[in-house]
Amino acid sequence: MFSRIFWIARVTFLEALRQRFLAFLLLLAAAFILGSVPLRSIDFGHGELKFLADLGFGALFLFGSILAVVLPSQLLYGEIDNRTALTLLAKPVGRGEFLLGKFFGSWAVLGVFTFALTALIGIILLVREPDVVARAMALQVVPPEVSVLGLFEHALLQWLRLGIIVSVALLVGSLAQTFLYTVVVGSMAVLASQLVWIAQDTLANPEAVLSTVMRGALWLTTRIFPNLQGYNIGETLVLGQSMVLPGTVSSLSLSAAVYLVVILFLACTAFRRREI
Amino acid sequence: MTDQPAISVRDLTKDFRVGLRGVKLRAVDNLTLSIPRGQVYGLLGPNGCGKSTTLKIVLGLVPATSGSFTLLGHDSASPEARARIGFLPEAPYFHRFLTGRELVRYCARLSGVAADRVDAATDEALELASMTEAGNRRVGTYSKGMLQRIGLAQAVVHDPELIVLDEPTAGVDPVGSAAIGKMIQAMRQRGKTIVLCSHLLGQVEQVCDRIAVMDRGRLVLEGHIDEVLAQRGVHQISVEGLTPAARQAAEEALSRHGAHVLKVDPPRQTLEDLFRRLVTGSRD
Repeated sequence: MFSRIFWIARVTFLEALRQRFLAFLLLLAAAFILGSVPLRSIDFGHGELKFLADLGFGALFLFGSILAVVLPSQLLYGEIDNRTALTLLAKPVGRGEFLLGKFFGSWAVLGVFTFALTALIGIILLVREPDVVARAMALQVVPPEVSVLGLFEHALLQWLRLGIIVSVALLVGSLAQTFLYTVVVGSMAVLASQLVWIAQDTLANPEAVLSTVMRGALWLTTRIFPNLQGYNIGETLVLGQSMVLPGTVSSLSLSAAVYLVVILFLACTAFRRREI
Repeated sequence: MTDQPAISVRDLTKDFRVGLRGVKLRAVDNLTLSIPRGQVYGLLGPNGCGKSTTLKIVLGLVPATSGSFTLLGHDSASPEARARIGFLPEAPYFHRFLTGRELVRYCARLSGVAADRVDAATDEALELASMTEAGNRRVGTYSKGMLQRIGLAQAVVHDPELIVLDEPTAGVDPVGSAAIGKMIQAMRQRGKTIVLCSHLLGQVEQVCDRIAVMDRGRLVLEGHIDEVLAQRGVHQISVEGLTPAARQAAEEALSRHGAHVLKVDPPRQTLEDLFRRLVTGSRD
């Protein structure tokens, strides 16, 4: 089983690397990150490194999310429309194996995307760090420090976050009949997951006045949608601007792993019933 | 298990829901069919008659509305059955960036060929499909006929017992079509069961042992090719150097025995035979 998943993932990865859409988004995100360097003086008083990190991580997530929704949907529908899926699924390949192969292939591409852009952001931050430290020393304030380990941890968390989005796109794709529907519904699910923290905060607020129905709806929302906003701790990890509680990265990674398992299980179950 | 038919279908019905109102469209209507092992079996019929749907149901790609079916005596969803069949869908698309050899290797891995056998199995399949030389070219550069042949190679790389070919010669020129016909004959000689779904009747007639004809989802004819095509009570004699006098004498002699000459025409070769004789690469 693992061998078949590996081979499908490998071919999916190689095919995805040839997609112009990937090259376009990668270049766009890199241009966005590089474009922030000449604009660093407009840092809104938050400090140059924070400005560069915010824009870089924002670009990584924005373009990564678009890629995480579109790429797996495109690869899945491409294989179904072109009948490649018929050829593969007539072999002793389970539908779950096929879908997991698509997932791992797409996720590997997002790994390349995430770590390449993180490397670019890291280089920019490390190049600018000495100047910023010198200025801070001259002003006798505590200088910020770029953590390479923090960069790696942040990249890992973003990759996991994008993995959740890929799995959501495949779940929607397993149920939907068209590529466009998958992309629209998948994007809405990502948006809902980005905003689910509002529901969590509202439920946790003892002063919030909520009807039973509203409370139930908010509770359900917080259980269905993963809180993707919770993975936005790049600035803290990389620049150490505030304290990261011990075990935060592990806890977020574990949470992502649980979401991945559950969403992929649902996607595989839905795909088994699909007419190819 | 070898006495079990290669494919057995009983009372199979498939309805599709189409449009927003979910109007029911019956693609396969109460079909019962048994395809014996070791033969080339032609499944014929016009477009939309339910041939491809029947094959997809039997291969476990589409669920049936009702009815039962087995593949080599097993449930078609079982890995045991899937590992013993090869399938070439109609107008297949393969990853254009892979070479033909990489594609066949990939399919060998997915079909459960042992790692130490993959290279040898790939070479054998490429050779059977006459694709050894073109095997190192990217699939994106292949002609339609080469795509079909590499499709056949991927279908047979794991040495399956049953090979299902859905329109293997669609869009292929007569030369490529003849090459595919030869591959089918070669596989039959190896004892494989081949199900050929096509509406190229000339080729079906040449290669198939048995045929079934479907129309509007129903089976309208099934039998051995010689039996279903035979015109009972009519015989054909080929004569060389027939002069008018010889013809008259022959007709009189036959008449004395109660036989009548229905027509005397010079035999015609088929256009396909003529084309294959004229065009380069098509001669045996």
